[in-house]
Amino acid sequence: MSEIRLEVKDISKHFGITKALVDVSFNILKGEIHALIGENGSGKSTLTNSLAGIYQKDSGTFILDGKEVNPQNQVDANNEGISIIVQELGTLDGLTVAENIFLGHEDAFVKFGIKNTNAMNRKATELLKQYGFERIKAADMIENYNFEDRKLVEIVKATYFKPKILVIDETTTALSGEGREELYKQMKRIKEEGNTVIFISHDLPEVLRMSDSITVLRDGIYIDTVKSSEIDEDGLKKLMVGREVSGKYYRADYDEEVSDEVVMKVENVSVPGIISDISFELHKGEILGFGGLSESGMHEVGKACFGASFDREGSVTFSDGTKINDIPTAIAHSIAYTSKDRDNESLVMNQSIRDNICLPSLNELSNKLRLLNDKKLKNFADKFAKTMSTKMQSVDQFVSNLSGGNKQKVVLARWIGKDSDILVLDSPTRGIDVKVKQDIYQLMDNMRKEGKSIIMISEELMELIGMCDRIIILKDGRINGELKRDRNMDENVLIAKMV
Amino acid sequence: MKASKETGGRKLSARTKGYLLLLLMVVVSWGIFKIITPDNFGSPKNMLSYFEASLLAAVGAVGFYFVMVMGMFDFSIGANIMLSAIVGCVFANRFGLGYVGLIVGSILTGALVGLLNGSFYVKLRIPSMIVTTGLALIYESVANYIAGGVEQTLPSDLRAFGQMPGNLILAVIAFLIAFLLLNFTKIGTYTYAIGSNEFVAKNMGIKVNAYKILAFVISGAFLGVMAVLTISYGSSMVAVTGMASMSRNFVPTMGCFFGLAFKKYGMPIPAIIIGEFVINIIFFGFIALGAPTAIQDVITGFALLIIVMLTTKVAKGEIVK
Repeated sequence: MSEIRLEVKDISKHFGITKALVDVSFNILKGEIHALIGENGSGKSTLTNSLAGIYQKDSGTFILDGKEVNPQNQVDANNEGISIIVQELGTLDGLTVAENIFLGHEDAFVKFGIKNTNAMNRKATELLKQYGFERIKAADMIENYNFEDRKLVEIVKATYFKPKILVIDETTTALSGEGREELYKQMKRIKEEGNTVIFISHDLPEVLRMSDSITVLRDGIYIDTVKSSEIDEDGLKKLMVGREVSGKYYRADYDEEVSDEVVMKVENVSVPGIISDISFELHKGEILGFGGLSESGMHEVGKACFGASFDREGSVTFSDGTKINDIPTAIAHSIAYTSKDRDNESLVMNQSIRDNICLPSLNELSNKLRLLNDKKLKNFADKFAKTMSTKMQSVDQFVSNLSGGNKQKVVLARWIGKDSDILVLDSPTRGIDVKVKQDIYQLMDNMRKEGKSIIMISEELMELIGMCDRIIILKDGRINGELKRDRNMDENVLIAKMV
Repeated sequence: MKASKETGGRKLSARTKGYLLLLLMVVVSWGIFKIITPDNFGSPKNMLSYFEASLLAAVGAVGFYFVMVMGMFDFSIGANIMLSAIVGCVFANRFGLGYVGLIVGSILTGALVGLLNGSFYVKLRIPSMIVTTGLALIYESVANYIAGGVEQTLPSDLRAFGQMPGNLILAVIAFLIAFLLLNFTKIGTYTYAIGSNEFVAKNMGIKVNAYKILAFVISGAFLGVMAVLTISYGSSMVAVTGMASMSRNFVPTMGCFFGLAFKKYGMPIPAIIIGEFVINIIFFGFIALGAPTAIQDVITGFALLIIVMLTTKVAKGEIVK
């Protein structure tokens, strides 16, 4: 039997009146990939953030290789052999790639108080080369790189010193194929070296494929630890949700005809360097999917339809002939948009749930004198937050305190409250647990039936196949294929058009 | 994806682009006034004296840059310069400590003011603008009390830092120290890290509050050096009250904006130095023209806004606060 690497003993943590973790106890072994799963808000990130020094636990102990550890910050945790790749962006603008990699560990390059920048850059270049990321230059400012490349830098930062425990918190959904493969490679390397990976993911097939054992949390309480080889996806869902989750995850219909009525017409839309000559029509009551590799330009299509692209050429026309060239016009014509980058582009993080939900509907909520009534706003936000089953103390709670899935619910609640007719949803289930995913799919299906039209952009091929009436595949910024809903369609058909 | 761009088949580094832009600004601002008033503006000798005058504010601005990069502000710059200059003058003159008194007195006073600014800001958790505005009133009163309401004059034998080469030597030393701190110590890295994302910086084990206080101390010390140069250049200092010292804030702050605008070119310190030079060219250009002060201020304000706007070139979609 393998030795215990980490003992999690009676860990508790609360935020205000919310109990995020309640006496959580379980063991993690040396040389294993140990998955941590649970619904959004189940306490997974709170637990690993406490282990990595980002949060301070209220009570309980972490025992690493027989010794109690209580890191006060990430550098402390690194020194104990614990490292973390966080869900959102963990690199800092204003610093170079090398400075980001060694942030908090500069002392290795400092002599008599003077930092040897050349030595730091050389070491970073060497590491980037080892990982196969030569195209990322150590001396470049980090802001010159896109989200995915910055995540690759985080992988180097978190793993170069061979940590005893690496925590990967819902990172894979932010990465395309190449990035994911690199992350998997690093996970396997760490395991082969006898060290441990704690892997948080909502992608259950990925969890089953990559992990040796799986611990399930629900509402901050430890539920069970199981061997990956001894459980299937449905079994995990049952443990996560506490009841059987129907296998009917996606839409069941295949033969329904989509209306001929065009609600949005996109003609020859280009954004220099990102997308070229994109044309399509969106019909009433249709779910139109966009798929492709992460850098295929599909995310820009969503922005272009919402009037949020810069330097856009071509036209986006609403059913009444109005040209959608800016966001206010889009919103005025009942178009909604949720960004893939939820924290930076969709939510006002340091504002309440109420403010976030009411934001685009303030005109409708104000009286004849254009004054706002606090109670009316609160009731409005409360109604739609509850429609989305948002886990919260009240609508006055700050959005920044919510888990990833509940943040997404707030974004969707905002547009449901606005009663938008066209929804452009970019990666609507990114970082979302199985239960909320099911809710979102159900919501989309209901909206479709009500005659609302949806553009769904996703890197998850199965949800595109399961939910869309049509799927447009982008490759290198251009349309490379269009497929109609078909019960016999499989991922390989899409992949063939993507690469 | 990369910062550098192909131009005519050759790569122009970001830094070279930055220097070319600054050079262009110097040439354009000089050229405009030279055309309008060719006789009494812009000779090589004149340009050297404009540059000498610009050194004063440039020294203060490179220190203030540490505070501004972290996202904080300081409205007590003018009061600090005034108080530091008066204390330096008192040490040098009244206590008979000469140059040692002038330099040590001014720099220590500046650093102490910075320490107070930083400590109050961190401990009271009040926005830096408000804290430093309140403290500026106190510094003005202290300066007035020390000076006894009398103009403090630096004896002529202690004014080596008011002319070449003393002023240049002191300024160059200050610039080198700022450059060293920013690029070759942890302080520089942490300054940028805190300015970028305080929460992540804290998680990286950086003592955010300690470094914020340190930024104010560094800024204060550099303002102390600026005080030495200012009183040596002008030979005396009057301790004004009622926030009148705020008028001294403008020029170092504008230089700092140049530094922030050129940060992306990887050359904030040279940008501050050359930026202050550009500001002085415009200032002296108006004097040569004999323009009324009000008109000078209006046009200078617009000119600086245009310069910063053109050089900052914010990416489309980037949020500016």
